[in-house]
This record gives sequence, structure tokens and C-alpha cells, in this order.
Amino acid sequence: MKDTLKKVIFGRKEKYWWMNILVPFISIFLAFIVGAIFIKTTGRNPVVAYKLLFGASGLFPGPYWKGHFAEMLLSSSMFIATGLGFAIAAKGGLFNIGAEGHFIVGGITAAYIGYAQPFASLPKIIHLPLIFILAMLMGGLWAAIAGYLKAKRGIHEVITTIMLNWIALYLIEGWLVIGPMKAAVETGVSGTPYISQTAKLPKILSGTRLNISIIIIIIVLYLVWYLFYKTTLGYEIRAMGHTLIFGMESPKASGINVERRTIQTMFISGAIAALGGVFMVLGILFQYPPIFEGGYGFDGIAVALIGQNEPIGVLLAGILIGALRTGATSVQLAHIPKTFPSIIEGFAVAFIALQALVRYWLMKLIRLKKSIPIKIEGDAK
Amino acid sequence: MNNMSLLNASIAQTLDYAAPILFAALGGLMSENAGVVNIALEGMMRFAAFFGVWGAFISGSPWVGLLWGIGIGILLGILHAYITVKWAGDQIVSGVAINVMAIGIITYLLELVFQTTGYSPPAPYFGAEVNRIHLTFLKNTPILGAFSDLTIFVWFSLVLVIVLHFILYHTVLGLRIRAVGENPRAAETLGVNVFKIKWFAVILGSIFAAVGGMSLSLGTLSSFTNSMAMGKGFIGLAAMIFGKWTPFGALFAALLFAFAQVLQLLLQSTVSGFAKIIPLGFYLALPYLLTIGALIGFIGRAIGPAADGIPYKKES
Repeated sequence: MKDTLKKVIFGRKEKYWWMNILVPFISIFLAFIVGAIFIKTTGRNPVVAYKLLFGASGLFPGPYWKGHFAEMLLSSSMFIATGLGFAIAAKGGLFNIGAEGHFIVGGITAAYIGYAQPFASLPKIIHLPLIFILAMLMGGLWAAIAGYLKAKRGIHEVITTIMLNWIALYLIEGWLVIGPMKAAVETGVSGTPYISQTAKLPKILSGTRLNISIIIIIIVLYLVWYLFYKTTLGYEIRAMGHTLIFGMESPKASGINVERRTIQTMFISGAIAALGGVFMVLGILFQYPPIFEGGYGFDGIAVALIGQNEPIGVLLAGILIGALRTGATSVQLAHIPKTFPSIIEGFAVAFIALQALVRYWLMKLIRLKKSIPIKIEGDAK
Repeated sequence: MNNMSLLNASIAQTLDYAAPILFAALGGLMSENAGVVNIALEGMMRFAAFFGVWGAFISGSPWVGLLWGIGIGILLGILHAYITVKWAGDQIVSGVAINVMAIGIITYLLELVFQTTGYSPPAPYFGAEVNRIHLTFLKNTPILGAFSDLTIFVWFSLVLVIVLHFILYHTVLGLRIRAVGENPRAAETLGVNVFKIKWFAVILGSIFAAVGGMSLSLGTLSSFTNSMAMGKGFIGLAAMIFGKWTPFGALFAALLFAFAQVLQLLLQSTVSGFAKIIPLGFYLALPYLLTIGALIGFIGRAIGPAADGIPYKKES
């Protein structure tokens, strides 16, 4: 049981496989230390800052814990969505930085289906799933454009996803929201009209804003894990990712339709990132505002990288980043700007990039203690 | 007469818009020709844009600001090279790290140094009348007149294209840089110090990106705003790919992107009739649509240096 679990979660049979798990944790730990040094050098008190940060993060019980906990899970579900979107493409060897665009495409679709008339009078049980399906479809198609151009024309996905991000932003905020989807002037609402009651996500914790988004994203996480490790499609995606940097020949030789898989991977990636936008509109904003508070797409990249592109890692990293963001508003009490968590996030990613160094340190530690038999190492064999 | 000054003004504006994109693209191609992907351009520009203003604000001279910005560019270049060259870390991950740090650290410092959110107070800058480069004798010539009143950044970006082209394709150093990007092992066998070349290229590229960031905060504007770099680094990355990793290609791409932006402004202000009905969003999206269109039409596969993005490790 323990062995299968290990294999299933990490899928590696290396000698020092536990390092793969340890590296993200050490990276985060080091990031907090460097963050503390940074606060110290700018003349503020790191202990107070971290106390405030974690006190309001929702991770630990304390005053107003229920509210913080709910807010943490709310934002975590969006970070997990964009992180998972990035991770899926990354597994297939594609660098999809379009999550920002997929996020807003999902959001605007959710807003439109949420308020537009033939849909808005549907019963909730039909309306809500319909929104999810259509928004994910739109987000997926938006990403599939980049996949198509990569597969058929060989255009680098980085460049197309950047362009598509901006195109989505301007078409939505420079046209749809101020044009055809604008709320009627007499309602006094800026942005799109508010979605109907049947489109709002059901709440699961009374007295807070917490809704079913976190449950949905955990189901999606499981499905993605299933896709990766239990289906042929997932196997082929991973095969592509492993070999892409050395040329596309080997997966092709073993009969994988690389072009098709590229488009499919991008579609799934975009559809899941779009989920984040749906959560935002159906659970928090209830409309598409004139200017969308963005950034979830790019933070999703960090979440995926800290989580090493594994579903379980993305879950943990998403919760961590969500918690930091929730706690961030209260670090302002210590006169520290609320963007402070991005600093820790950045350092954590930097240490992930430096994992060769972290591994080198760990190996040194092991060699120092060579006389003492290491139990975990024996397990792995 | 009126048409001519409009033409000149449009060309000048295009050059002004193109400069930051071009710097970013040149920074990117510098390090990618040596095989190190740098998606941190965006973050580096943000860092330098802020530090440039900070330096200029404290000292009262934009030249000191320029030095500060270059200094932070060098530091970030060292960080990126340390992660990716020394420890063979993932270049994309390192780039993302610097970009995320740029958001956090700069907003933090902005509040700490200037006690403001979102923007800094104005500092002495290169766009000021005394600091611009005036070539009055060109003023009334068509097309060339656009060059009569530009900032130092625009001139520097144009000169840099020629210098880089010369270095990359007509010197031994350039040959070595490209060899390292194409096939580091072969280069090493021929006695090239692969690591040294990579370190050099990454740091130099970061300096270019830093100068690009300052062309926004000390060239076009005289202060730092939080939304400043906003995608310029990524567009620079696109310009680099679009220009097939060559300096003149990057120049062409940067001018195209900038021209599409100027065109969008021109169209918005001058069109009448049917074109007036077209919503603003389409004009704003035009540069990006043009880019994708051009990519589909003009160039098929954008092929970068063969060993681009692959960490180099010595055989043990």
C-alpha cells in the first residue's frame, strides 16, 4: 500500500526520490528566511510581520478564523485552477503563459451566460452546469488557437499565448464590457449586469463567502491526476513532455499523434484555467467589472512550479499562496505593503530553480552522516 | 506642411514606442544566442525602471539614475546566470521567479521610498527639453525630420542594433556566443569557455533589458508608475522570436509592433464614418492581431538557437 501510494504520487523510482518532495518544502522555508531578512533590512520587524501574515492567513486557528479560512479557500481555488492549467501544458512540454487570458475568457463567458436572458431563467440545476461547460469550452478554444498554431504552423506557443492574452483583454475590456454586454445606464452598474440568482455558486459555510468552488477544483484535481497517470492520453502527454526538448521524433515514432495531442493538451489546459475565471465571477464578483483585478494567471505559473507540476503539489502550493494572499491584507498593520507575499512567492520559485544547489547541500548532509544508515533510502529500493 | 509634420511626428512616436520593446528584444536575443532563455526581461525592466527613477530622484541627475538602473540590471543578470549557468537550473523557472519578485519587491520599495502607491514623484529625466538630442537642421525634411528631436534612449537602441549585429556576425566573440548557443559541447572541444560566454551574454542581455525599462521611466515619462512595464518585456520576447533571434529582425519586429500602436492612436483620432463605429477594443487589439497574422503569413517555423533553453553541464 505504502509503495503503491509512493509510486502513484511521485511516480519516480530514483534512489533519493524523497529529495523531490523535500526540495519544494526547503525552497519555501528558505524563501521565508530570505523574506524575513528583506523585511529586517528595510527596518521593519519580521516577527510581527509573519505573525500578522499567518494569523490572518486562515491556516491556523485564531480570531476570525472562520472568515479567514473561507477567504483562503476561495482564493486558493482560483490559484489551483490557473496553476493546474499551466501544469497540464507543462507536462506536455508546452509553456502556456496564457492562463491570464483563459481566466478572463472564462470569466466573461460566465458573466454573459449568467445574466443573458434565455439562460438566466433556466432552473439552477441546468443553468449552473451550463455556465461551467460553456466557459470551459470558450477558455479551452481560446487556448486551442495557440495549440493549433503550434501544431500546424510551428509557431512558438509563448508568443501566441502572450498575444492572445492581450487580444482577449482588449476585446473584453475595450469592447464587450463597455459595448454589447454593458449594463443598462439606469441600473447604475458599471461593467456587465449582475448574474441571476440561479447562476451564483451555492455557499457551503454560513456567515462567509465560501462556496463550492473549492470542492469543484478538488474533483478536477483528481480528474487531472487520473488523466495523467491512468489514461493513454495522459501517458502520451507525459511522453511528449519528456522528449520535446530533444525533438519530436521519439513520441512520433511510437505512434503518438503529436499534433493532435498538442492541441488537446492546450484545450484542457485552457479549459481548467478558465475555471478560475468562472469561480471569480460566479462566486465573488457576480458580474464582469470594467477592469478585472488580474494576476491569477501569472501567479498560477508560480503555483505550478512550486508544486512541481504534480496535481498534489499544485493543491498544496495553491493553498499556500491563497493563504499568503489572504493574510497579506493584515501585514499592512505592520506598515508592510500587501504585495509582500509576492516577494516570498518569488524567492520560493527562485529556490525551486536552484534545486540543483539544494540537492547538492542535501547530498553533502547525507555524506556527512554516512556512518548512520538512512532508513528512508532503504525503503525506496 | 501639416501632413509632413504629422508624418514626422508619427515616425518619431513609433521610434519612441519601439525603443523599450527593442531593448528587451535585444536583451533576450543576446542571452538566447548563448543558449540561455530569459523570460525575466519583464521583471528586469520593472526593477530598472524603478531604480532609475530612484537614483535620478536622489541625485538630481538622470545619468546617476541610468547608472543605478544598469547596476540593478547587472545584479539581476548575475542572479539569473548563477541559477541557470552555475547550477544548471531551469531557465523558465528562474525567469518566473524574477518576474514575481519584481512585482512584490518594487511595490514594496515604492511604498517604502516614496510613501506612495502606484506611482513615484517626478524625477529629472532624459525626455526633458535640455536632455533631448536636437538636430534642428533636419527639422523641416520629410521623414528625416523625425530624427530631429529624440531621446538618448531611441538613438542608443538604434545604434545598439548595428553594434550587436557586428559583434554577433563579424567578430570572434560573436561566433563563440553563437557556437555556445548552437552546440556547447562542440564549442567546448574547440577550447571555448562555455560558462564564461554564457555568464557574459546573460549579464549583457540583462543590462539591455534594464536600459529598456529606464527608457520608459526616464525617457518617455519622468516617473515610475506601477503599471509601467506592463507586458513590454513579453512583447520584446515576442519581437525577438518574430525577428528570428537577429538584431535587425528584432528592430523590424519592434518597429512593426510600435507602428501598429501608433496606427491605432492615429486611426482613433482621425477616422470618420464606418471606421468610427468599430469599437476601441479592436484598435487596441490590432498590434497583437497583426503579429499573429504576420507570424502565420510571413514566417513558418521560428527556429531559435539549437541548444537554447537546455542547461549545460560539463561531462564528468
